[in-house]
Amino acid sequence: MRRLVHLKKFALLTAATAAFCGLRALTADHPAHAAANNVKLGAQIVAQGTKRGAIACARCHGYDGAADGSGAFPILTGQSSYYLTAQLNNFASGKRQSALMTSIARNLSGEEIQSVAAYYSSVRPTLQLTREGQADLVSRGQSIANEGNLQNRVQACVSCHGPNGTGEAPAIPYLAGQYRHYIEVQLKLFRRGFRNSEQMGTVGHRLTDEEAAAVAAYFDQLPLAPPQPAQ
Amino acid sequence: MPQKLKEVDVVCIGVGFAGAILAKEMAAQGLTVVGLERGGPRHSTPDFQAPQIHDELKYSVRKHFMQDVHKEAMTFRNTHREVALPIRQWEAFLPGTGLGGCGVHWNGQAWRYQAADFIYKTHIEQRYGKKIIDPDLRLQDWGVTYAELEPYYDKFEYLIGAGGKAGNLNGKIQEGGNPLESPRSREYPNPPMKEQYAGAIFRKAALELGYHPFIQPSANITRAYTNTEGIAMNPCVYCGFCERYGCEQFAKASPQTVILPKLRQYPNFELRTGAHVLRINLDSTGKKATGVSYMDSEGREFEQPAGLVLCTAFILNNIRMLLLSGIGKPYDPVTEKGVVGRNYAYQTQSYLPVFFGEDIHLNSFMAAGASGTAIDDFSVDNFDHSGLGFIGGSYIMAGSTNARPIEFHPTPPGTPRWGAKWKEAVRRHYNHTTIFNISGTSVAARQNYCDLDPTYRDAWGMPALRITYDFPDNDVRMARYVTNKASEIGHKMGAKVVVNEPRKRPFAVTAYQSTHNTGGAVMGNDPSTSVVNRYLQSWDVHNVFVVGASAYPQNSSYNPTVTLGALIYWTADALKNRYLKNPGPLA
Repeated sequence: MRRLVHLKKFALLTAATAAFCGLRALTADHPAHAAANNVKLGAQIVAQGTKRGAIACARCHGYDGAADGSGAFPILTGQSSYYLTAQLNNFASGKRQSALMTSIARNLSGEEIQSVAAYYSSVRPTLQLTREGQADLVSRGQSIANEGNLQNRVQACVSCHGPNGTGEAPAIPYLAGQYRHYIEVQLKLFRRGFRNSEQMGTVGHRLTDEEAAAVAAYFDQLPLAPPQPAQ
Repeated sequence: MPQKLKEVDVVCIGVGFAGAILAKEMAAQGLTVVGLERGGPRHSTPDFQAPQIHDELKYSVRKHFMQDVHKEAMTFRNTHREVALPIRQWEAFLPGTGLGGCGVHWNGQAWRYQAADFIYKTHIEQRYGKKIIDPDLRLQDWGVTYAELEPYYDKFEYLIGAGGKAGNLNGKIQEGGNPLESPRSREYPNPPMKEQYAGAIFRKAALELGYHPFIQPSANITRAYTNTEGIAMNPCVYCGFCERYGCEQFAKASPQTVILPKLRQYPNFELRTGAHVLRINLDSTGKKATGVSYMDSEGREFEQPAGLVLCTAFILNNIRMLLLSGIGKPYDPVTEKGVVGRNYAYQTQSYLPVFFGEDIHLNSFMAAGASGTAIDDFSVDNFDHSGLGFIGGSYIMAGSTNARPIEFHPTPPGTPRWGAKWKEAVRRHYNHTTIFNISGTSVAARQNYCDLDPTYRDAWGMPALRITYDFPDNDVRMARYVTNKASEIGHKMGAKVVVNEPRKRPFAVTAYQSTHNTGGAVMGNDPSTSVVNRYLQSWDVHNVFVVGASAYPQNSSYNPTVTLGALIYWTADALKNRYLKNPGPLA
């Protein structure tokens, strides 16, 4: 009951400021203690799934969020809980389409989504593995990531995703240490309009496939971003 | 001995919006064009990319993009009886330098002026009679009408990808737009910006008071857009780093984002940066320009002969270039003879901090340079001035352009200026305060003008520009009237405290007000009261065109850039369709 009251209060505050900028409103009064309680519930869902039929997140993303190394599934370790919540909501609403994630997200309640997000944002990787990239590709990617490309009018990735791609929490995810395959596929989804984002849509359109691969290779070989600050 | 270069058809002094657009229009005619930019080259990437572009100390406090006061200062005084002193640090207004000029560091507020602005003298005298005009004021018509400029406004708006909602389409009032604007021929190319929370509660209060709120027109692009030159722009992310900064997103319209990529494709255009123009050279008759003299960054002097000289610098530097070159007679405030420097005006800007309770979270840091919600009910002559004792007006706007940490820390009156209590107040009010921007007309007055300083010189040994300015009484009365109205809206919004601070005399150069300097080389139909004719062509030297807000005979309530854009295309058409076919006076 107590938790419900907090959530209600949060929802009201959020609604009051939601008119703003298309980003869901952030508030200084975010109930951090409620989030701490959520982590426990989140851990349980990640490990076991839910009765309603959401499968255990850990099966693909790993219990520590580092996924299976294939690049088919993104690393979630320490990602901003705001961002993870927003993405799960997007899967649930259909704004972001994925045969796998849509049905999972639809089987999570609002509170469960927040809990999973809170959990993954709080974990650190079990092992810190660094990956090496192909030097010329990484170097090309580094230049685009940090300076952009004047020719095809692409802004530097770090302008939004933070210095070295370490994220600009809460709204903008980190890229540092994310699997190259995952980044590359997402850029192609943005490019082809299968993943919707006005900002990333234009970036995706402007980047050539070779540049997308280079950017992905660059972020792939960076050390994993530090945990995103809690709101 | 200066090195004499090969003659070109056209030389532009300054490569900002005016220089870049005119250079492109002239290059497209097959003419050889040289753009001389005193500052350095700079581009959206890498120069405007974050994180370095968000260095508030570098760009906002140390004014990295502004004219270098160590090399080129201006002097200032309030009245002609005082001795002017050099402005050693830019505060009140910010003249830019470098490729793209002020078009790089503006906020992107994309207002048109009103039909009444262009016939201000005629309009005011007809509506109220001459008596309403204070004796010190010098109202003038522009020599061009709004209807004549409308197609050129449209052209510039589609170039920059302006975002907004039309309020008056060919005379038909449109839901959601500004019903008080002058008619536009078609809708904006892009939708309006997202409304800020402060703007939303302002809108509600303004509606309750019977006003007509709308989201202000913006050149911070609101969606992916390919402009009329085929150049692609990206949508704004509301990062709150517009004014004083370059845009890392290719979103805010600037010469870099809307015209330079096209211009630089012309092999008959050459850009020279670090080229400081010393003067426009005239032939022995003094009636024809032969080109310009400039110094490069290594201190070598060059003479660049040109058939046509386009003076496209910041307004104050346009005035100074004419004075340094001996083009047009300098204005004398005592005899009122002469024209260059006459009708220098500004913008009567008041900022009202509006403090809310801690339950109102404004999140003002999520903002763009032009994402405010405004009312136009008290602009220019949108309301009846009978019995009010002044002319002119202001728009009232809520919603921030930013809430950057170094600059934005509003505290209510009575707060200590430093120490623990100040810090506590900053924490308390940071996210619960908005600033009303009240942007007002500035009427030209006989005592306000620019000329060359008799004492101070720049690094090249040339006299500095001297500005003599104070707010005319009329504008002070106007500001008081409109801030009272704004204050009422603030209270209606539920604010705990509204600081009603109308702009007062004396004008001071020590705190930011507005970069909207205007006039000094004004346009008109009478050579005895204007420097350039209605095509922005010098009355005295027909192959010199002076294109800038220097042409405005007085200033309106609005931000001047889009009107300048309209005048740029208006001038380009006059050049292409008339002057190039038959060089000589166009009026």
